[in-house]
Amino acid sequence: MKYLILIVFMFVGFASEAAEDKYNFATPERAQTFRELTHELRCPKCQNQNIADSDAVVAKDLRDKVITLVNEGKSKQDVIDYMIDRYGYFVHYQPPVTPATIVLWVLPVVIIVLGFGFIVFRQKRAAKKQDWNATDEQKLAELINQYQRQEREL
Amino acid sequence: MNRKLLGLVPFLIFIFLCVFLYQGLFGNPRELQTGRLGQTMPEFALPDLMDSNKVWTADSLKGEVYLMNVWGTWCPTCIAELGYLTELRERGVRIIGLYYEQAYDPDFGDQFDINALRADVTSMLSRAGDPYQFNILDLERSLALDLGVSGAPETFLVDKNGKILLHHTGDINERVWRSKFAPIYQELTQ
Repeated sequence: MKYLILIVFMFVGFASEAAEDKYNFATPERAQTFRELTHELRCPKCQNQNIADSDAVVAKDLRDKVITLVNEGKSKQDVIDYMIDRYGYFVHYQPPVTPATIVLWVLPVVIIVLGFGFIVFRQKRAAKKQDWNATDEQKLAELINQYQRQEREL
Repeated sequence: MNRKLLGLVPFLIFIFLCVFLYQGLFGNPRELQTGRLGQTMPEFALPDLMDSNKVWTADSLKGEVYLMNVWGTWCPTCIAELGYLTELRERGVRIIGLYYEQAYDPDFGDQFDINALRADVTSMLSRAGDPYQFNILDLERSLALDLGVSGAPETFLVDKNGKILLHHTGDINERVWRSKFAPIYQELTQ
């Protein structure tokens, strides 16, 4: 039984290796670029899958295109630009900073700043209330006098 | 006074979220715009579907406003829109088909049978209506990739100078034509 499990695991190992070797690249760097790109580029058809993961026809076409471009010696950024030219920013999982997307970066910072600002503001106000100055003293004395007068009149 | 205003803040956030999420209900995430919008048609040289000797290029399509409709007989929505597109043709809209062959993949040693495809297309168009001036065969889907096509049906509105003005994902029907295409098309053809 143990041996059977071992054999099964060996086959699993072979299978994954075979998948890695399906594409041939001149250098290991290019193979690495290909792997990174297919995980970063998004399939336009099966949304929320990258092109390595998707079985859609267009994902296969994009993978083939990435292979061709990488084998031509194009850099990672070149390939990303090539795809964005055709499929728009949607095709890359990392959105660029543009006027439309700036809110993604700015909003969290704004919320944190506002939150802390609010806490500080409240604490300062609470601390201020505990001050006891001459006007408060005078007002208190007045109130006590008024009360005592009322008591006497009764 | 200040306190009252502050109390409004959660309410305003709530309203903002409602509007944002309400829009999301009716948005279509599949409605993708090609990165080519506003640019000219990419260069290509592809054969006519019915006549392999005839080659179409980006330049040979220039001179008239046209719709480029990406379709295939394997795609049910494409078949469904043939009827309406034929109506548009009868109204004088120039429609060029870009035949998107899905099944063919040379990596798997597929043999491509052009005659079977021609017969298939001819019978389909005679049954469902033929809106096309002609069809361009994009067997390797290279023009489709250059146009940022992710499937079928998709339609591009191209002006006289070959500039891509509109990209629509999904079928074209009366509603889509009126709201999306007609305003731009009428302006172009006046």
